[in-house]
Formats: sequence, C-alpha cells, structure tokens
Amino acid sequence: MEEILFGIGISALAGALATVAGAAEDTESDIGSQGDPNSQVQLAPQMGYVHRIFNKAVSGEPPAYGLWVALAAGVAWALMAIQFNAILALVIGSAVAVFVQGVYATTAYLGRTASLAKFEQPVYIDILKSVTSVTMAHAFVAIFATVTMCFLMIEALGHPFPLPLMGIVWGIALGAAGSATGNPFYGKERQYQKYPFGAGLPISASGDIVRYAEAGQRSSLDNGWFTSKGAGPASGICFGLIVFFELWRTILFEPFAAGWGAVIAGVVLIIIFMVIDRFVETWARKTYGPYTEEAAPEEEAAA
Amino acid sequence: MSALGGGSSGGEGINPTASLIALVIVLIAVAVVFLVYPAATVPLIGVIIGGVLISFGVHFVPVGGAPAAMGQAPGIATGVAMLAAGGGLAGLFGGAWAAEFGIAISLAAGAIGGGLLMAITCLMVNVVYVFAMGIPAASGKVYKDPITGDVFPPYKSQGTEGHGLPFISYVGGVLGGLFGGMGGTLIYYELLQVYEEALPSFLGATTEGLTILAVSLAGIFAVGMFLVAAVLTAYNITGTIEGPHDPKFKRWPRAVIGSSAASAVCGLFAILLVVI
Repeated sequence: MEEILFGIGISALAGALATVAGAAEDTESDIGSQGDPNSQVQLAPQMGYVHRIFNKAVSGEPPAYGLWVALAAGVAWALMAIQFNAILALVIGSAVAVFVQGVYATTAYLGRTASLAKFEQPVYIDILKSVTSVTMAHAFVAIFATVTMCFLMIEALGHPFPLPLMGIVWGIALGAAGSATGNPFYGKERQYQKYPFGAGLPISASGDIVRYAEAGQRSSLDNGWFTSKGAGPASGICFGLIVFFELWRTILFEPFAAGWGAVIAGVVLIIIFMVIDRFVETWARKTYGPYTEEAAPEEEAAA
Repeated sequence: MSALGGGSSGGEGINPTASLIALVIVLIAVAVVFLVYPAATVPLIGVIIGGVLISFGVHFVPVGGAPAAMGQAPGIATGVAMLAAGGGLAGLFGGAWAAEFGIAISLAAGAIGGGLLMAITCLMVNVVYVFAMGIPAASGKVYKDPITGDVFPPYKSQGTEGHGLPFISYVGGVLGGLFGGMGGTLIYYELLQVYEEALPSFLGATTEGLTILAVSLAGIFAVGMFLVAAVLTAYNITGTIEGPHDPKFKRWPRAVIGSSAASAVCGLFAILLVVI
C-alpha cells in the first residue's frame, strides 16, 4: 500500500513537472518562432512584409527537444556516475544543454534571416541580443523539468531505461505535445491577430503577419507574453496529463489481472478522452453555428 | 504537374520492380541472420513486423503541418514523423516498462501508451481550436464524417481547406498511436531478447552486468528504427494527411513495403552488432 501511495505521489510530481515543462516549451518555441507558424515568418519578407520577429525553425520542436533533453540527461548521467550530487548533476546537465540551445538559436536566426537578404529583410543584432537569452531561459525551465521528471521515473519508479535514453523519448514527446497544441494559437491568433476571430485564415492572406505593436514594431517577446496566456498553459496541461496518466495507470492498475489491469485502465482513459472530444466538437458546432446559411437550409428555416 | 515536370501528387500505384527489390532485400537479410545466428531469425521477423506496424500506423495520424497552424487545413499542426514519433516513443516507454510481463502485455502496454498520448494531444488540439480560437472542426476532403455523419462544408470558413480535428481524424490519431506504440515496442522487445541472449557470450560477462547495456542498445535501436519507418512513411504521404478518410491513406501498401525492407536492413545490422 505504501509503495502504491509513494508511486502515485511520484506520478503527481512528475505530472506537475511535465506541466511546467510543456508550458515553458511552448512559450520558448513561440518566442523563438520554432513551430510550424514560422513558415509565415519566413514567408512574410518574400511577400514584401519586412518584420522584427525571431526565426529559428531549422528543426522541428520534437527532434530539437529530443536533442536538448537527451544532452542534459547524458551530462547529468555522466556526472552522477562520478558521484556528483543528483540535483547538481541535473542542473549542470540542463545548463550545458541550454548553452547548445543558445548556439542553435543564434546560428539559426542568423542563417534563416540572412537567407532573406534578397527580399531586403535585415538581420537585427539587437533582436539577437534581447530575444536569444529569453528563449534560453524558457528552454532551461523546460529541459530541467523534463530531465528531472525522467530521473524520477528511473530512480523512484524503477523504469529500466537509462537516463539519456529516457531523455530522448520524453524530449521528443514533449516537443510533439507542445508543438501540436500550441502552434495553432501562435499561428492564427497571434501572427494573424488582425484577421477576424472565430475563422481560419484564408490561404490568400498567407504572409501578411502582424508586424506592429501598440508602440513601434512587434517583438517576439510580445508573442511570448500573448501565447503564455493560452497556448503555453494548454501545452502544459497536455503534456502533464500524458505523463501523469501514463504513470498513474501503470502504478495503480498493473498489479491487477497479471499486468492487464494497466492496459484496461488505458483503454478506459482513451474512451473517456474520446467522449470529451466529441462533446467539445458538438458544442462548437451548436454554439458557433455554420459559417454559410445557404448550405444549411434547416438553420434558415428555423430563423 | 509540378515545376520540376513530375506528377503533382505522389501517385498511388505500386511499382512492381521496386517491390520485388524490397522483397529480395528482406529475404537476404533474413537469410544472413539465419546463417550467422539462427536464434535471431524470429526476432528479425518481429523487427520487420514492427516496422510495418509503425509505417501503417503513421498513415492514420491526422497531420496538417504548417497550414493547420493558421487554421487553413485540418489536422494537427506539426510534422508527420514528429507526431508519430512522439506517440510511438511514449508507447515504447510503457511497453519497455511492462516487458517483464511477457510479449502480449508488453505490446498491449506499448499500444495503449501511444494511443493515450494521441488521445490527450488530439483532445487538447480541439480544445485550443474551439475555446481559444472559436473555430469548429471541419474536414476539407470529405462531405461528412464517416463515423458521426456531421456535415462539414457549412462549417468550413471561407478560403480554407477546413480546420481542427473532426471525430474521424481524432479516431485516426488514436489508431495511429496504437499501431506506432505497438510497432516500436515489438522492435524493442525482440532486440532485447537477442541482446540478453547474445551479449554474455559475446562479451564474456554475466547477464546481470549486461542488462543495462542490452536495454540501452535495444531502446536506442527501437527509437532509431521508429524514426526510419516514420520518416520513410512521411515521404510517402508527401505533406499532410487528414486520417483514414483521406484519399492519401490508400497509399499505405507502398510505405509498408518500403518500411519492411528498411526495417530488415536496420534489424540485420542491429543483430550483427552483437553476434559477429
């Protein structure tokens, strides 16, 4: 019993760390513009819209975070092997990984932006100085929280994977969850804030991103401020739920039915999430209604 | 026609010569393993099946790429291989944890781990679309949802190909996670059996000291082979796919044939690493 309680406590702690990691990961990728919406940041100067948005999407978020978290985990693992204190090892590992992330962000911004020289897009050195350090700070939070979560899974819950391998697995999963959940909010709601709320962006408007703020030109730091109110927490909840339920169902239900208990619990959880999704989908259809009336004659008759 | 003079889409036909070459590669790989280390023949076949499962599963995952991030196309706003890897590796985490219970539970745990990640991710994608962006789900490829019967054209905003994740895409995402998680776990499990048996005689040490090495090798090869199969399939899909109702879904046999050859070669090297 005590063992199960301890396991559930560790699951909750890992879930909380994952939530922080997911929120920080998405905010980092939005400030640095690393997700799919960066296609618009790259496209804008080609359409004549010169801007001051950061641009570092030379890699997708999942492989990038797979690298950084695995790097942090690898360094921490090596330090622990020579009897370093675990917390200190995790901090040093994350710091080394963040240094690599900083080098990546700098070279990516310079390379991607310099490639737009023929469209008269300047490389702003002040952006490099002000934004890179902010993405590094967010990346540190995401990487440290994830690698600590991996450490807990191995040391406290007894997963057989070594720390660096665990880092790759959960780093890629972190990037996948963060980019999937957070990208639409940054892409549609922020980059195209001037277009009407409640509709997708017409394909013909591609490249016409918002470039001006209340005073002066929009900075990528403003994008972090905006997305940390929506996409960041949503990504955090997404990754936190994934980690928590993955651990919780295994720890609590694996002893039942010779191991099948965890599988059955997983199936039940998937069905519950499916029902919630269907509810959200039908709620949106009822509440927002169809865009075009002629294609929905029953709505017209009711009016 | 594209600017390069080729077809605008990847096509759906199967090239008989290429398929034959793939089959020969698979047979050669199996024959080599059978001659060098017969005990690893069945695990190699398991690895090939794992690659096939991953490749088939990736076709189910609704991926909208960059257009989905602006609400211009339905699906999840990230890359095909990336999302499938996220789901599949979460499955591998669960499957490896349950490996001590035997192959059946390990595979089931791997499948459920991948499916659960996709179920939560797809739900949160719809939550963001609906509650943060005010956009209902609509497919651009079909008139109505094959499962729920919801009609899509009135709910598709002007100038877009659709947006969000209709229920059929949600189910596709979960199925993709299930297949991916199961495939990745199968590769891990089969390689682990080979390594646990071959490493002690190969390195001349006890099994206990080599368990961590066997787990690490099997794990990293499983991750690598997962990415090989997923990226290969992403090339077959060419860009975005909405799920099982998308016409591109019919291309799966070609990716499955390609992935079986790629998995056979990768599996051959993974096994030869410890037996030669």
